[in-house]
Order: sequence, then C-alpha cells, then structure tokens
Amino acid sequence: MAEPTRVLMMNDSMNVGGAERVAVDIANSLDRDRFEVTFCSTRQGGPLVDTLADDVDHVSLDRSATWDLRKILTLRRLVRERRIDLIHSHGRGTMKFVALARATGAVRAPHVFHDHFGWLHVNRSAPRGLREALQRGVDTYLGVDQRLCDWAVTAAGLPADRVHLMRSGVDLDRFTDVTPVDLRDEFGLPEESIVVVMVANFRPQKDHPTLFRALSTLTEPERSRCSIVVVGSTTADPEYFAGCTAMAADLGVDDMLTIAGSRDDLPEVLGGADAGIVTSKNETGPLVVLEFMASSLPFVATDTGEITRQVSGTGVGWTPAPRDAHEVGEALREMLRTPPEERRAIGRRGRAAVESTFDQRIVTAAIEDVYASTLRSVRAGGVGNSP
Amino acid sequence: MTSRGREAQGVASLSRQVERLRDRPSLDLSVVLCTWNGERWIRPFLQSLGDQRRLPDELVVQDDASDDGTVEVIRSMAGSMPFDVRVEVNPERVGSTANFALALERSRGRFVALADQDDVWYPEKLSRLADEFERDPILTLVFSDADLIGEDGRPLDHGLWDTRRVGGTLRRRPIVSEELAATTALTTGCTVMVRHRVIEAALPFPAELDHPVAPMRHDRWLTLIAAAVGTVEAVPERLLGFRVHSSQETGVLVGAELPRALALGISSNVLAGDGRRADGLRARSEQLRVAAERAELLGDFGEAATLRRIAGDFVRRARIDEHGRGRFRLFLEGLRDRSYRLDGWGIGAAITDSLRSILPRSANTGIDSGGGTRG
Repeated sequence: MAEPTRVLMMNDSMNVGGAERVAVDIANSLDRDRFEVTFCSTRQGGPLVDTLADDVDHVSLDRSATWDLRKILTLRRLVRERRIDLIHSHGRGTMKFVALARATGAVRAPHVFHDHFGWLHVNRSAPRGLREALQRGVDTYLGVDQRLCDWAVTAAGLPADRVHLMRSGVDLDRFTDVTPVDLRDEFGLPEESIVVVMVANFRPQKDHPTLFRALSTLTEPERSRCSIVVVGSTTADPEYFAGCTAMAADLGVDDMLTIAGSRDDLPEVLGGADAGIVTSKNETGPLVVLEFMASSLPFVATDTGEITRQVSGTGVGWTPAPRDAHEVGEALREMLRTPPEERRAIGRRGRAAVESTFDQRIVTAAIEDVYASTLRSVRAGGVGNSP
Repeated sequence: MTSRGREAQGVASLSRQVERLRDRPSLDLSVVLCTWNGERWIRPFLQSLGDQRRLPDELVVQDDASDDGTVEVIRSMAGSMPFDVRVEVNPERVGSTANFALALERSRGRFVALADQDDVWYPEKLSRLADEFERDPILTLVFSDADLIGEDGRPLDHGLWDTRRVGGTLRRRPIVSEELAATTALTTGCTVMVRHRVIEAALPFPAELDHPVAPMRHDRWLTLIAAAVGTVEAVPERLLGFRVHSSQETGVLVGAELPRALALGISSNVLAGDGRRADGLRARSEQLRVAAERAELLGDFGEAATLRRIAGDFVRRARIDEHGRGRFRLFLEGLRDRSYRLDGWGIGAAITDSLRSILPRSANTGIDSGGGTRG
C-alpha cells in the first residue's frame, strides 16, 4: 500500500467561525487510507480543537505577526519532523505566513491556499504584498466564492488554471438523528407561533437591523404568528449589540425577539425550529444556510455568498437582496403564509440538496483531487511555484 | 434639542423610513434625466439612449423650466423611443441638485441610472453597469469612467477620472471606502447607476447640501449615502462620451487649464480668507453628520460613527482658521488622531492646514479664495 500523503492543515486560530469550521471538517474527513493530517494554528488554539478527530494532532505556533521569524523556524521544524508533503492554509494571514516561510527557504512543501475572505463588500484591492505572496508562495488557490476566484485572477494576477472554486460543505452526521431542543418550552414562546432561528453573532456584517426593519413591515396578525430566536454571541461587539437592541425597541419588534446568546448545541436548536433566517450584508458562504438545509429547515437568507447563490431558485428557501428590509419582509411574509406541510416539504428538499451537493464527503473528495493535481504539477515542475 | 427630543425625532424618522419602504420599485431599470436649456445637445443623447444594448423600462425627465426648445424636442422623440418617457416640467427653476431629487423621487426602477442632457452614451453603458448589480447584490452604487468629448462630439483624448485626478486611486481600489467617499468628490452623476434603496435612504435631500460656500451636489450625496449603507464600486471602463463645453454646470478642465487651476486651487486654499474656508469646512461637517443620521436609521452604526469622526475632523480643521492661538497645536492633534489620510488628498489637506496654522492671521484675512477646482 502506498504511503499516505501527509497534510498540514493550517489556520489562524481554533475559535468558532466559518473558515475554522471548514478547516476542521476537511481535516476530519480526509480519506485516512490516503492522507495523514496534522492541524496547526499559527496564532492560538480555541474551542474547535476539541472537535478535531482523535487521530488529528493539533499544534499551536502562537505567532505574533506575519514576520515572526522565530515561528517560521518552528514551522520549519514541524514540517521536517512530520515529513509534511503538502500545506493547506486557510485565511490570508496564515497564507502570508506560509508564503514567507517558503520565500525564506524554510519550507518547501507545496502550498494550497483556501481563501474565505468575507470583506469583499469593503475591500477588493490586491496590494503588492498580498499579490506577491499569492503569486510566489501559493501553488493552488481555492476560493469559497466565485467572486473571490474572479478577484484572484483579475486583481491578484493568478493564472486561471491555478484557481478553483471550492464551495464549502457540511458534516451531515452532526445534523442527523439529533434530539431537538423544545424552543417553545425553553423560551416561553406561544405554542401556535412559527419559531424562526437566526444564527448570527452580533457583528455588523450579520446585519440584524435589516431583520428588525423587515419585521416592522409585518402586519399585526403576521407578527403574532412569528417568534424569532437569535443565536450568537452578544459580546463580540458590545456597541453594535446595544445599537441593535435599541433599534428593535424603537421599531416595536423587540417582543418578537428572543436573544439566546451563544449555544454549543446548534444542531439540537435547529432541530427544534420551524425555519431559519440570516440577513447578512455580505458572506462568502454562508455555512449556516447549509446547516439550515441539513436540519431540514426552510429558510430566508439574503442573496450573498456562493452557497446562497447556488440554492437560490431551487425551492429550498427564500433569498431576498441583502440590506433590503422590504424584500426580506416579503420573504418572511411568504414563508409565514406557507402551510406547515409545504414548509416541511421545502425543508426535505433542502436536506436532499445538501446530501447530493454539499455533503462534506463530496467537498472533501474534490479537495483530495486538488491535492493530487497540485502534487503532480509541482513534481512535474509545472504550474506550481514550489522550490 | 434635548436627547429625549432627538430620540423622539429619531423614532419618527425611523417610522417614516419604514413607511417609505411600502412605496417600492415596480420596474427593473430607470434612467433619470435632468434638463435645462439643453436643446442643442438633447437629440444625440436621446439617440444614444435608444441605442442601448439593454434598454431602460422608463426615462424620467425633469426639466428645470427651460426657456428653449428642450422639452419640445424630448416630447417629439418620446413616441419613437422603445420605452416609457415621462416628462415633468418645473414651474420655476430649482437648480440641478434639487431637480435631481425630484426626478429620483419619481423613478420606479430597481436600478436607476443618472443622465445629463449633453452626453453621449455608448451602447453597452446600461447593460455593463446593471450586470454589475445583477452579479453582485451587495453593490449599492456603481460608476464608470468616461471619455471626454468636445462640443462637436470629437474625442479629446482624455479620460474623466484622470482629469479629475482620481483614476489611479479608483483603479487600484475599485471598492470606494466610506472615508474616501466622505472626503473626496469621486463620482459624476452621468456615470452613476444606483440601487433604489439608496435613493430611499438619500431622499429627501437635506437642506445642508445647499450651502453657498461648500454645496454638495446630488451625485456626491448619493455616493456618500451609498457607501455608508452599502458598497460602491468603480468600473474602470469608459462607458460614455462626457461633453466638455462652456455652458455646462459642472465641467472638467483639460490641457493647460488643469495645472493652472490646480495651482490656483491650492494657493487659494492656503490663502483663503479665514471665515470662508472655515464656513466651508463646517458645512461639510454638517453634511456628513446628516449622512451619519441616515446610516444610523438603517442600522449601519459603525458607518455612522465613521462619518461622525470625519465630521469632527472637519470641525477641527475649521478651528485651525478660527483660533487666535494654539492653531498649530490643533493641527498636531489632527496628525495624532490620523485625521489626514495617507494619500494625495490627505497629504494636501495636511500641508494646507500646517501652513495655515503657522501663517500670521493677518495674512489669512481678506483674501478671497476665488475659484477653486471644480467638482
């Protein structure tokens, strides 16, 4: 039997977030007959370390900056000791760190970079440092959003054959056969109301105000039929959270909202909901849409990000324009009007779509193909830049 | 106003905002055209609009009480245009910015392109800009570059962005930051397409725009609001011929005129009479504060805070002129607080302020700023 390919999965930290979750899911699901995985956080660990599979070792470098030369030497030692064949980095900070390690000759392993950059709405520039890191330090670029892939080619100047769209996936096992949380009981919600869960930390990018404005366009009978449970950290940006709560009160929609805070039982919470909602300004995923579908929930999700774009118009949910309270309100209204059996049918269609397209195993198989083609190209001295 | 009063006003405004949501765009694409005594140019413009690869659903014309044959020409051509043409004539002249406010209010498209009467659009203009919106729902305003053309329609071999000294910045950073939009005039109305919800946020145009020393035109206001409540993108293609002629309201300077005007602008800025320059800076500050209020109403709290910070910077710069003593200290405070951006405009403002903070006040008085750079 051939020796497995040794992959070093790298990201900034193991705090809870979309990019981190993707990295963990890939690390856990790579074919163990063909791949051996080490996980390395270049800054610090975090709660997601506990979600790594038992056979995935985690190392934390605690680097202080991209130019932390001492930590580059630590990375060099790690790569040599573990005889790493390929590095798969997530996040631009870590990518630049790896690119620098390669530029200094400390590391020679081929480098696949997975870009999750979620700030396209404010920044699409490609400064020289970033361009050089990508052009000289990355063999294969994976963008989670077509807009990122376009940016990589047109702004960052990467050859199109080294750029691949890699939609995120979801680990279906986490959302299968869960014991649902009784949200009505836990939060004292009316029995007859439709419970809609919003999964979004209170950060500006998640744009809770658009949800609140949308709720204010509902009629009184519509409002009484709808309860919104918001799951997510309230401490990430205290000023934003304060602004949101004041706005909800001003608009008179606060009585429809239950702020549940952070939860570590998301699959169970979603299992107890009737629908999901997310109103982000901009996303490259968003993963939560896959989680709604994996939980067989119909959803309202603003039309931003690769996943939403893919499922838009397929009858698994409503995808209004981002930051458009009227369109979000219309979508909510339509969902509330949809009879329960039809809502459940929409949820089942969503689950089937995830199983056929977004199952982590499918995404991981595509990534395994990228690893193989990257290694082939680099060994052949082809498109790759590895020394 | 007391804080409770402000709060009450905020809630009332919020309700109005929500109320306005009910009046939604019913069409796909509108073009709003403001006219005033444009008989000479209007025909070629309308022809170029009719030749668009993607036609609008409506042309909203707001004529600002022309006393030539502009309206007659438009009405005579309306029947042959392949879209609805809706003409309204103001009983008396209101000025360009107020006229655009009236036209925008009447527009019914999800996307709205702004038009001037004297330009010639290239056939792909509307489709190119609308495609950007279709491709990326987060965009709230897109604008392009333009070729400069002469009165006779012949190209002048200059681009609009480069003539306005914004080309390098916009090509490097196609997403316009809120800070840049707040401090620099970047867009020219006829190059702009805007999403309807920006119009909802921008209307009514506040009285603060109409300031004698530092007026803010409709295009700059829309860009400011669009950047505060969404994302503004610069599209580098030249999608129209921008006609340069002596009778236009906002124009550009080309050839030898440009460096002369820039030099005059800088020197007049440094030597401008204290009151006039300070008035201008305070006016700009007020305009930004109103924009901040609009952003806050929509829940863009961070963006509103940024606008208020920049508004505060303008006030500090005004105080450099107004203070008798301690002016240089104010300038140093500005440097410390990073009030000046690290680009050509920011450095220019810093140099101006540093000079004004050390020049004897007697030298700063009584010198009228005269004509600065336009736009």
